[in-house]
Amino acid sequence: MLLTSVVIVLREVLEAALMVSILLAMSRRMGLSLRWLSIAIVIGIAGAIAYANNLETVSGLFDGVGQELVNATLQSGVFLALLLTVFLVAWQHTRTPAPSRLLPAMMAVAVAFGVTQEGSEILVFVVGFIQVSDFFSSVAVGAVAGACIGFSIGILFYYVLLALGDTHAFRVSLCLLGLVAASMCLQVMQSLIQADVVSAQGSVWDTSNLISEDSLLGQLLYALIGYEASPTAFEVLAYAGSLVLVAIAVLLGNSLRVREERTST
Amino acid sequence: MMLSRYRVLCCAAIASCLLGLPLAAAAATPVVEIEIRNHLFQPDVVRIPAGTKVKLIVYNRDPTPEEFESFELNREKVIMGGSKAVIFIGPLPPGEYPFFGEFNPHTALGKVIVEGDSDAAD
Repeated sequence: MLLTSVVIVLREVLEAALMVSILLAMSRRMGLSLRWLSIAIVIGIAGAIAYANNLETVSGLFDGVGQELVNATLQSGVFLALLLTVFLVAWQHTRTPAPSRLLPAMMAVAVAFGVTQEGSEILVFVVGFIQVSDFFSSVAVGAVAGACIGFSIGILFYYVLLALGDTHAFRVSLCLLGLVAASMCLQVMQSLIQADVVSAQGSVWDTSNLISEDSLLGQLLYALIGYEASPTAFEVLAYAGSLVLVAIAVLLGNSLRVREERTST
Repeated sequence: MMLSRYRVLCCAAIASCLLGLPLAAAAATPVVEIEIRNHLFQPDVVRIPAGTKVKLIVYNRDPTPEEFESFELNREKVIMGGSKAVIFIGPLPPGEYPFFGEFNPHTALGKVIVEGDSDAAD
């Protein structure tokens, strides 16, 4: 049970932690106040508690696919918030004194929704098993260890991003954020297929022999870029489509920035 | 045929971002029921025909929650203690698709065996 707890908590924490560290590094570089993060985490934890408490009711909704639809909604929320974040960062990262207040708000939405979803899974597991007396210490120790490892990887990732030179930092951060956004879009599609809202089809390819999804590398890649060993056509389409949207958002933001800089000089 | 397929793809692209209209037809879907008892799946082998969508209903008879998970089926769903979950699987080509309970990965193990003509699967 100890190892199981470590793995489950680590998996969920890692997904949220990687997104948070990219956003945090961006805010730091632009000199934004980090108040958005504390607000987002408080809302996210409250959301996770509410979702975990009502999971049984939620699951029963919409002919038994309520859980998938709520997850798809949360994932869509993260995706749209990240898309706007990418757009605003590309547009306003050189603006002084400060970018618009919409930027920290969008970062907060992405983190709050992400924490709600990942946090609820952790809560369901921990609350469900910590009451079993045989499991108490292994679940408690495992959960703390998993969370610590996840946060440590997040912090390490944050400092790697900060250590990048100024010229590369925004490009790398925008690319990473784009991949996280695409992985959210893929998860939305997966939730919709699981709920039978979108028809399922066969997988387009299968790379599970190369990188298995339950391997360490597979889990890391899943957390960061949404690695899926055997995606279906719709999932590939969702991933590619969202990358195109991210690219458009960056180009649009860039052109707005160039125009602003031209008019100010 | 090609045109309708293209249209379906376009719809899905929009749906992926906007939670669009239901695309799947609500035809009569075969139902398969399994149980979780003492962190074990019963039965632990589910046989379904190739190329057919199946509605899997998983009853969790344990007081503790479980997460039905399968990398091969691309499925993941939390099932609270004493409740049930609906999981749609397929249509699939013939083969074996392992699944497990993420909260009890050493005991809660099972697999879906898809049988029949591979031509039927698409």
